[in-house]
Amino acid sequence: MDSINSLFLLSGLLLALSILASRLSSLVGLPLLLIFLGLGMLAGEEGVLGIQFDDYGLAFLIGHLALAMILLDGGLRTRLKTFRVGFKPALSLATLGVFITSLVVGGIAMWVFELSLVQGLLVGAIVGSTDAAAVFSMLSGRGVNLNERVGATLEIESGTNDPMAIFLTLMLVEVLVGEIGGPVDTLLFLIKQFGLGLVIGIGIGWLSARLLRWVDLAPGLYSLLALALGFLVFGLTAFLGGSGFLAIYLAGLMIGNQPGRHLNFILPVHDGLAWLSQIGLFLVLGLLVTPSEMLHYALPALGVALALIFVARPLAVLLAIKPFFKFRWREVGFISWVGLRGAVPIVLAIFPVIGGVENASLYFNVAFAVVLMSLVIQGGSLSYMARWMKVEVPLGVTPNRRGPLGILPENDYEMFVYRVENQDLDEVPIRLLRFPSGAVISALFRQHAMLHPKGSTLLKQGDVLCVIGRSEDLPVLNRLFNGEARLKRQQAFFGTFTLDGDALMQDVAAAYGLTLSPGEEGMTLGEFVSLRVGGHPVVGDDVGWHGIHWVVSEMAGNKITKVGLRLYQ
Amino acid sequence: MTLQSILPPERALFDVPGGSKKRVLEFFSTFIAQNTPSLDSQEVFSRLIGRERLGSTGIGHGVAIPHARNAHCKAPLAGFLKLAEPVDFDAVDGEPVDLVFVLLVPEEADDTHLALLAQVAGIMNDAETRQRLRKSDSQRQLYDTLIEAIERHAEAGPPASP
Repeated sequence: MDSINSLFLLSGLLLALSILASRLSSLVGLPLLLIFLGLGMLAGEEGVLGIQFDDYGLAFLIGHLALAMILLDGGLRTRLKTFRVGFKPALSLATLGVFITSLVVGGIAMWVFELSLVQGLLVGAIVGSTDAAAVFSMLSGRGVNLNERVGATLEIESGTNDPMAIFLTLMLVEVLVGEIGGPVDTLLFLIKQFGLGLVIGIGIGWLSARLLRWVDLAPGLYSLLALALGFLVFGLTAFLGGSGFLAIYLAGLMIGNQPGRHLNFILPVHDGLAWLSQIGLFLVLGLLVTPSEMLHYALPALGVALALIFVARPLAVLLAIKPFFKFRWREVGFISWVGLRGAVPIVLAIFPVIGGVENASLYFNVAFAVVLMSLVIQGGSLSYMARWMKVEVPLGVTPNRRGPLGILPENDYEMFVYRVENQDLDEVPIRLLRFPSGAVISALFRQHAMLHPKGSTLLKQGDVLCVIGRSEDLPVLNRLFNGEARLKRQQAFFGTFTLDGDALMQDVAAAYGLTLSPGEEGMTLGEFVSLRVGGHPVVGDDVGWHGIHWVVSEMAGNKITKVGLRLYQ
Repeated sequence: MTLQSILPPERALFDVPGGSKKRVLEFFSTFIAQNTPSLDSQEVFSRLIGRERLGSTGIGHGVAIPHARNAHCKAPLAGFLKLAEPVDFDAVDGEPVDLVFVLLVPEEADDTHLALLAQVAGIMNDAETRQRLRKSDSQRQLYDTLIEAIERHAEAGPPASP
């Protein structure tokens, strides 16, 4: 009974501390995961609480559970439309990129630790995959909004590169313990991992999405059903010899992209579950490590980490992306820098321990040290790098809060809450607002009191408005409530003037006295900019031409609909 | 080329009847043709409206900066209109426009064109300037406010290019 009580006490205490410490992260700028790891280490055998924990089997189980939930949530949140620009580069990074990273790091580890080739490669494979979940929680926490090409690539890469790293690790572990068959077996293993993961993940994921949309449940049960189906997909795939991690990510993707009111119940819960997984996982991993033992490897591990950050990752990104896709140099630079390692390498480092590889503690401690280093060096400088590499796109106003009313399930109205920050709305009567026709202001809050908004009510700065409307109304509403500071930032980025993508180049040229080459007269401005950018354009891309920056400021699918004119000053 | 020099007092128009975007541009075209004999009102109007077709020059916060090149324009010229009633200008933020800064440039002055545009945009981007312009209640005050804003902007220097 006592052990149960102390389990409650300790897990509650550590979780609560971790969650409260997350506030610290936004204040100090320390990566969150680092704080969780640190707390785990503090609670561990050489820390203040001195908890003895070296159950690798349990940690392995927790690791799998947590990773599965994190990937499920990642899939739920990835919009399929970002696949337009991100899928192919991400796939290249997830396969070729992981392979190159593992190879380079493996070679260096071999030399640093005086290992055999296979042992060195195992180190490389373990630290081969990135953890962009960490990246995204950091970036969104700082209000950094990446351009779609970079954001989508990183997001999809992180969801899909774990299977490759897991495959390489498993394979090398089997080579080391002497259980591997011939190259044919190895190849078959690879095909099974990816093929089954793909087929089951997408297939059952799609069915699950339909089921979730169709079935009528108590609100609290949707998220549980989604979780259960996710686990089912994971288990089934892994049981048949496929990659459960890939499958559960794809299942999440399928579920998250099936619109309907059930998503409103699923997403918040899974957000919480992903947090719980992150915290739990890192606490456990922090508990598992023996800092003094890690210190023993600290110096050589630092070398491996630096090689990973400054040589292997940039090289891998360069080779996996630059020859095949039209990325700018600064975008390649940023993606190289965001090779953040997170939980996956540490969990993978438990494989050799479980598999009974000789000298297994080396892998675990090195992986741990590399992740720590990566979190400190790369994680700490992310938002600074995003600014420096100019991969940010300024974000306009969005509602402070929004929520479905749940009255019409098929095409529901939502409540949007805005704060009046826009100076130009000061003293403006409500009837003069250019409101979308279907939307209404249902309540107005001023100085902690609710007013009944009438057409003649004058708005004041700091008023909080509850607007009822549909998601189609958002662009117009956002524009209306966009504050001075944001509009200025947007204008500095996109330029003062905005032209329609449909405008004909010959007209644009005539208006500004620009010379066109033959063949360009017949194009629209959108086509022209698209051609100059090359590949798939995204919002924020710009082209310098005739002393003007032509900036893509709005897209509909693959078509440029608005182009900003930023004048050199 | 300074903005002050191409914006004489008589081209700062106060209490201009609004109506619609088209009416406002028509009003300015007629006015500028009378003010500057070399210009033809129909041509000015069609150039300005042609530019609007490519995308509105309403830059937000109730400001529009219609601009066009014109073959009969010997030197750049500017005009400012404060409308009596805001009109729908199809602006980026959807807000109706009541402050209109018009620029006409000769065909050959392309670099000057862009430099002037950037300068006007910089001036009109200032919230305080807009407020003062809106609160002006005479033609004289409007013009003085405008010139003062132009000078203030010139002194502060152009903002560092992003």
